[in-house]
Amino acid sequence: MPRLMVVTRSGEERSFEANPSSSVMEAIRDSGIDEIAAICGGCCSCATCHVHVDPAYVAKLPLRSEDEYSLLHGSQSFKDNSRLSCQIRVADAAEGLKVTIVPEE
Amino acid sequence: MLLEERDYFTDRVVLKDPYDYFAELFSKDPIYQPGLRDVMFVTGFEEANAILRNAQDFSSVIAVTGAAVPLPFKPAGDDISEQLEHHRHEVPGSEILVTYDGPRHTADRALLTSLFVPSRLKANQAYMEELAEKTVRDVVARGKCELIQDVAVPYVTLVIADLLGVPADDRDSFKEVIAAGPPPGNIDAEERPHSDSILEHLARHFVGYVQDRRAHPRADVLTQLANAKYPDGTTPELSAIVGVAVFLFAAGQDTSAKLIGNCLRFLTEDKALQQQLREDRGQVAGFIEEVLRLQGSTKVTFRVARRKTKVAGREIAAGQKIVIALSAANRDPRRWEEPNEFTLGRKKIQEHLAFGRGAHTCIGAPLARAEVKILLDRLLYHTSDISLSVEKHGPPENRRLEYEASFIIRGLENLHLELKPGIGANS
Repeated sequence: MPRLMVVTRSGEERSFEANPSSSVMEAIRDSGIDEIAAICGGCCSCATCHVHVDPAYVAKLPLRSEDEYSLLHGSQSFKDNSRLSCQIRVADAAEGLKVTIVPEE
Repeated sequence: MLLEERDYFTDRVVLKDPYDYFAELFSKDPIYQPGLRDVMFVTGFEEANAILRNAQDFSSVIAVTGAAVPLPFKPAGDDISEQLEHHRHEVPGSEILVTYDGPRHTADRALLTSLFVPSRLKANQAYMEELAEKTVRDVVARGKCELIQDVAVPYVTLVIADLLGVPADDRDSFKEVIAAGPPPGNIDAEERPHSDSILEHLARHFVGYVQDRRAHPRADVLTQLANAKYPDGTTPELSAIVGVAVFLFAAGQDTSAKLIGNCLRFLTEDKALQQQLREDRGQVAGFIEEVLRLQGSTKVTFRVARRKTKVAGREIAAGQKIVIALSAANRDPRRWEEPNEFTLGRKKIQEHLAFGRGAHTCIGAPLARAEVKILLDRLLYHTSDISLSVEKHGPPENRRLEYEASFIIRGLENLHLELKPGIGANS
């Protein structure tokens, strides 16, 4: 199974194996990291699973949809490498994908 | 009667006011097991969150029948995962998405996510607006209505039918079949009848739609659904597609219709609030969130512990059945200031648990929010006053309100309204 690297809000780096058929949001939640609220449950509707993707991996991921972009754009933490982690499939992520959970708003 | 003697699953007093009962349990302990049944109640916000987000240690297999029905096996040891999978098919309701666990749940749920993204809802919005406008104009012209059956149930049924792309000619039959069915979690177990036949009726239609669209793709939602792929690129069985489509009707109708009823009850009991929202309909979305927190349509959901584990320092044995009281978590005084008061504009109100949390978070929540907002907007626009019928429900100091006899659903069986036309009525 592919490995993910997640930087938590406290700056701790956690690495774990993720189920390829899940989303990065689901994989982070299932790893026991409790910092992603994902209050819409993963249907691209709330922006509470916002992460920053390590710049080295941004171009390796499928592009953001317009829905995803418009939700992220309203966030205080929006950057060029912002993604909703529910919209990234682990199967589409390159080995070692590194994401940082953005500060709570 | 003492707390310990009440049975949440059958008690009519608790049915009428579950909030007092939950508050009493909470005052004992946010994770507490009252005497009558082998069932643990979770009434704290953090504790409920922790369990809902932990799909590794807690299974959803009993989410439909609830914790009232015994498991079909005797849990043995500190990890019952294997036993549970072996007996899963014997648990009533185990063919429904809300009871799935793990990869199977993730995969089947993924078939539906594209239906609820903002752009899809936007495409659905024109239909919702048109339907809400017509429905509201009709009842305002009559001056009164029974909100649940005249307005809410047909409205939410037609909205989900449109979202799924059900042909217009078939929608009326869907509406009739659903209007005749009971909600889940009926407290009168022996009267629990025919909800299976509703699902069968819907399933027959969807088998036809999916077969047709797989053979003859069109530019419609049913084609998109019929040809949806699992995240690993494989094609689901016909039955999986039919299952999730039918599930949307089963799960979304009662809850959304009851939410409309609960909203209108708040508006009719607080005329100042009603007028405030009428003058500024931009506040309707925030109003709905606070109704969801205080009187969400789903009172409780259920889990069973797969493994011996701990929640907030308390040990939970493998096989322990758990009632997660969502509506109690939404009134936890550690999370919400003055939790029993109706307050517009609470900070982070959307974190309430009315739609659950974690892997099984209500997938239709964005639709429920959108459809209820549109209907309330039209109701406020076309009226100058909405009141409860004194004839049917009694005077304000002595209301007679009947709640659906369900240990899952919180909602009125009927709500008779009187509607005075407003400025929008003739426009």
